[in-house]
Amino acid sequence: MSGARVILRVDGVSKRFGGVVALDNVSLEAEEGGIYGLIGPNGSGKTTLFNCITGVYKPDKGRVFFDGRDITGLQPHVIARLGVARTWQKVRPFRNIKVIDAVIAGGLLKTSSISEARKIAEETLELVGVAREEWGKLGSEISLMEHKLVDLARAIATKPRLLLLDEIAAGLRPHEQEKLAEVIRRVWRERGLTIIVVEHVMKFVMSLSRKIFVLHEGRLIAEGTPEEIASNPKVIEAYLGIKPA
Amino acid sequence: MFNREILIALAIFEALVLGLGFALSGNNYLMLLAAQVLLFAVFVAAWNIIGGLTGQLDLASSAYMALGGITTSLLWMKLNVPPLLGVFAGGAVAMGLAVLIGLPTFRFGVKEVWYALMTASLVVILNNLFRYTMGPWDFYLPSKWGLIYLRPRTYFELFLIIDVVLVIVILVNVYISNSKIGYYLRSIREDELASESIGIDTRSYKLRALAIYSFITGAAGFLQIVIYSSFSYRLFDTSQAISIAIMGIIGGLGSISGSIASAVIFRTLGEYLRSSLGGVFPGLDLLLYGIMLIIVGVLKPEGLAGLFNQIRRWLGK
Repeated sequence: MSGARVILRVDGVSKRFGGVVALDNVSLEAEEGGIYGLIGPNGSGKTTLFNCITGVYKPDKGRVFFDGRDITGLQPHVIARLGVARTWQKVRPFRNIKVIDAVIAGGLLKTSSISEARKIAEETLELVGVAREEWGKLGSEISLMEHKLVDLARAIATKPRLLLLDEIAAGLRPHEQEKLAEVIRRVWRERGLTIIVVEHVMKFVMSLSRKIFVLHEGRLIAEGTPEEIASNPKVIEAYLGIKPA
Repeated sequence: MFNREILIALAIFEALVLGLGFALSGNNYLMLLAAQVLLFAVFVAAWNIIGGLTGQLDLASSAYMALGGITTSLLWMKLNVPPLLGVFAGGAVAMGLAVLIGLPTFRFGVKEVWYALMTASLVVILNNLFRYTMGPWDFYLPSKWGLIYLRPRTYFELFLIIDVVLVIVILVNVYISNSKIGYYLRSIREDELASESIGIDTRSYKLRALAIYSFITGAAGFLQIVIYSSFSYRLFDTSQAISIAIMGIIGGLGSISGSIASAVIFRTLGEYLRSSLGGVFPGLDLLLYGIMLIIVGVLKPEGLAGLFNQIRRWLGK
């Protein structure tokens, strides 16, 4: 992966909420076409970092660069138009619209024609493996697993260059997590985009990513390959709360 | 865009409306009532754009209606602008106020119950403001009749004019619903943050929905004044604004057929109860009306649209 251009650069980002330091001087880089993991215990600042990248929060300090352009503090929809898409930790992203219509709304970012957006939506739903008979169902009628896939499809339908997946495997059964990991790998291979996966489930993220960043109490405490991370004493301490003997 | 199913439904609806119009045309009282019911449906259909599609619980419908209607009337009375043109100015003034208020409202993320409270207070503020400037009097429209004044000699013709407006508003709804803006508005209704993340400028789209709704409501406001033949500060009526929102909700948020059906059915029932029971036992009509709303709310929380879908599925099988 070395030598590829840097598509995302987070430079010394800090964010506090009242007295709580959610992010403390976090810096990281992601190269174009890579697939990364971002892990850390509950409350370590993973989602806050995603929110700072996608414009949901404005960082107190530091800058975020996407494809060389400073995107710090831009509005979320502007950042989305530049090519950054994300999924949500939230369990039910929509209830009263049909699956296909939700994804069409994503496809409308790059076109104004409904029929073109519909074509994009159909391709994307097929890519992530949502069965055709589910397309006409309402959000309130589909399962959690299908919601995760549709949320993913909606993000991909915007044709992003960088895709941020926020705890996408949370709440799923182990075999569903495996299926989802397979879908993400397929999307990564076929679309050639850069993916960062925030995850709680270690096995999920370890099997998926080439490089992993570890956050703990708002600070980046380690980065490296899954093997390096698994044997890193700081990471073990952060997760288990003890120093390894 | 306008597919066969929609055009057939609209044709059937129009056949019913016109049939009813002809049947009632001998009776002035019933004709006026029918015109009022249709105009109410116009306001509910316009509300559907901001409330049903976009999910903003707007309670200021009567403010835009009154502001637009009074503007059109004053232009006619003071400057001799025929209302056929004046209604566009009325719509524009209502839209101007809505956008002026909408800009900071959406900028600072006022939503849900806070948006409802804010829009409801707009009606109260304008009510007081107009009472102060206009006084407590009723102002009567000039004694001129004709199509350019949108003021025909018979209630049957008035009924027809309002029917044309209703068809236009329905077509606007269908057009919006099936184009990019409609997809975006529904997405905003479901979740604003998720909509932002797929590149939707939620503020600008909410503002567009508000502008379209307030323009239609303001332009149609003059027809309400034509029905009353007069206007006063009492047009800024909180209960009218709330009942328009209730009809949109009972009809099923975002469903144009549902909201029109609920407007027509409930307004007619309400008027019927009022005329048959209001004199015998004052207040009983309102009680029964309230009970009916509760029954629909409990049995069909997704509104009349849910019932229509059920029938459609049942017929399809």
